[in-house]
Amino acid sequence: MDTSEAKVDRMAGHMVRTATQSSIELKPIYNADDIKHLFYEGDMGDPGTYPFTRGLYPEMYRNRLWLKSFIVSYATAEETNQAFRQYIDNGLTDLRLLCDLPTQSGIDPDHPSAWNSMMCGGVATYAINVYEKMLEGLPLGKAVFEFAHAGMSSFLYFYGLLVAVMENKGVDIKKLRGNSINDPIRTKLVYGCPDFPTKVDRRICLDHIEYSVRNTPNWRPIAPNGVDPCQGGMDAIKELGGCLAVASQVMKDLSDRGISIDEYGPMVFALDAESDFFETIAKFRLARKMWAKIAKEQFGAKTKRAMQLKIGIRTSGLSLTSQKPLNNAARVTLQILSCVLGGVNSLDASSIDEAIGLPSLEARIFNLDTQHVITHEANIPLVADPLGGSYYVEWLTSHMEQEVNKYLAEIEARGGVFSCLESGWLNEVMEAGRLKVQREKAEGKRLIVGVNAFREEGEEGPINSAIRDVAYKAPTVAARGEKVAEVRAYKANRDMRRLKPLLKELYRATKEGRNTQRAVIAAAKEGMTIGECVGVIRVGYGINYDPFREIEMPDFVREIVKE
Amino acid sequence: MNNERKIRVLIAKVGCDIHERGALTLLTSLRDEGMEVIYTGRYQTPAGVAHAAASEDVDVIALSDHTGSLPIIAESVLAELKKLGAEDIKVMAGGLLTLHDVKDLEKMGVTGNCGPGTPLEVIINHIRGIFV
Repeated sequence: MDTSEAKVDRMAGHMVRTATQSSIELKPIYNADDIKHLFYEGDMGDPGTYPFTRGLYPEMYRNRLWLKSFIVSYATAEETNQAFRQYIDNGLTDLRLLCDLPTQSGIDPDHPSAWNSMMCGGVATYAINVYEKMLEGLPLGKAVFEFAHAGMSSFLYFYGLLVAVMENKGVDIKKLRGNSINDPIRTKLVYGCPDFPTKVDRRICLDHIEYSVRNTPNWRPIAPNGVDPCQGGMDAIKELGGCLAVASQVMKDLSDRGISIDEYGPMVFALDAESDFFETIAKFRLARKMWAKIAKEQFGAKTKRAMQLKIGIRTSGLSLTSQKPLNNAARVTLQILSCVLGGVNSLDASSIDEAIGLPSLEARIFNLDTQHVITHEANIPLVADPLGGSYYVEWLTSHMEQEVNKYLAEIEARGGVFSCLESGWLNEVMEAGRLKVQREKAEGKRLIVGVNAFREEGEEGPINSAIRDVAYKAPTVAARGEKVAEVRAYKANRDMRRLKPLLKELYRATKEGRNTQRAVIAAAKEGMTIGECVGVIRVGYGINYDPFREIEMPDFVREIVKE
Repeated sequence: MNNERKIRVLIAKVGCDIHERGALTLLTSLRDEGMEVIYTGRYQTPAGVAHAAASEDVDVIALSDHTGSLPIIAESVLAELKKLGAEDIKVMAGGLLTLHDVKDLEKMGVTGNCGPGTPLEVIINHIRGIFV
């Protein structure tokens, strides 16, 4: 290495930005003048009091720490069940259930389009037999479950499976705790999910919520999702604005079904912990404040519960790099810290090997230990909202509120969030954000360590190589072949005399505009698969059985429709 | 005339993978480089990708996938290209890749295999390098 004077650059590594990740321009210093327009009572308030900027509970984490959760995405029900048991033993009680990508798209493993993604991103949970295996021996009435799937059919169907498994085991479904993302905007905006058209998405979203409000009061049946739009290019302002717009629209739609916000109870948002530390913290504080105000002022909430927003976190997968993956440990640690300082309710951190493959168990346990270090060694959660009153953080929270309000006004002026989706405007906004970041990275205005900056500081050593090598491997061709055979055998061994009338009831409920959720639960108990659930509902709307238009409607479904 | 011809790239996603940001980033970046780029969108089949590549007369197929299935996807796309007698179309892969995946892909003749965060110039140089 050349260490001659010519190589010494005192400015190497100097700052290149004067704005946050979401392009909010910052001054080098903030003082009392910057927050003199704020009032403690109306803008901040003690934790546990309206508008909950400083947290939902008076003593915050002293009474109850955030829920530690993980998306579990192993290929088989057996591995997933084993992981759940290990997680519960390690203090995780918040289990995020996923399924593989074909299932999330609304098709079964024996569908021709399933092959190339089968058992990737989760278990192929095509029917109740798989759920029974995956949840074997778990405390169903005590654990917290979260559904983070992509397609809207997933929430209707997998909630159905969870309720069916509980009822079959004789566990009171009123004990079911957790939430569904169930966000009909995110499913199309980010994922373009093929299972249903938007009008069907919007209806089954409400079917799921309505049934849940009346039957499983501890289940939060919608959690508008900002994580995935944010990963797709939305900045923090539009991420939060999007969630508020979805939540408001759904509350309006629910009131048409006779459910008030007080009956609904607390709202949950799934938000993104991004790399910009203070902006992320301000976003969490602001999210609680804005929802409380909307619930009270626009929807007339009378109960404290109905004004409260719980925040569930996924840390940014996009921020992770496959170059020098050890650096991801620093990124994830800071993101977790921003969540704790922001007073979130549940936290699902990305793993350091996630830019290479599906997370290994060791990498997940590292995330958990990071949270233990923050809690027990660094003593961070001892005091509620420790950044409350900071000139900078309070200014940023207030400034972002103005920006989010402008964005919400624009969505309203364009006819509401569904019109903004259908006109393609939301997509344009997201694309513009993505291109802006991409351009700034290319021009060196955003530095990503080890990617477009600080690349030459040493070759990758044994630690980085090891991280690269342990990532969980995708299932082989042979494993996929076995899965197809398993599904075919399962389908052939069902009692069709019992299943057919239940499918027919789902078809009729769909067609006649009745709530579909109970019909899904009943048919799931008799072996209805996710692909059949999607197909029957589609046929109820008079559209193609198969969202991919590759397979024919099965004969038994044809018979139901004819009768 | 032939030397004037722009490099034609088909960015393709096969199966049900939802992660699209890499594909979209590549789409605009390669266009900015003056290449002609077509993106298939998500939820495609290997046969559909091979047909699109052959009928659009592309030079390179860039497969994007974040499920860990790139070797499986590449193998089926290569098989479809062979059926069409279009083996001259180069295939490259980007997304989630283990070292083992990269080795498997190279054995099939799939080169230029890039993980997330790969600098764009590395990808662009790889594509240009094919035609030197």
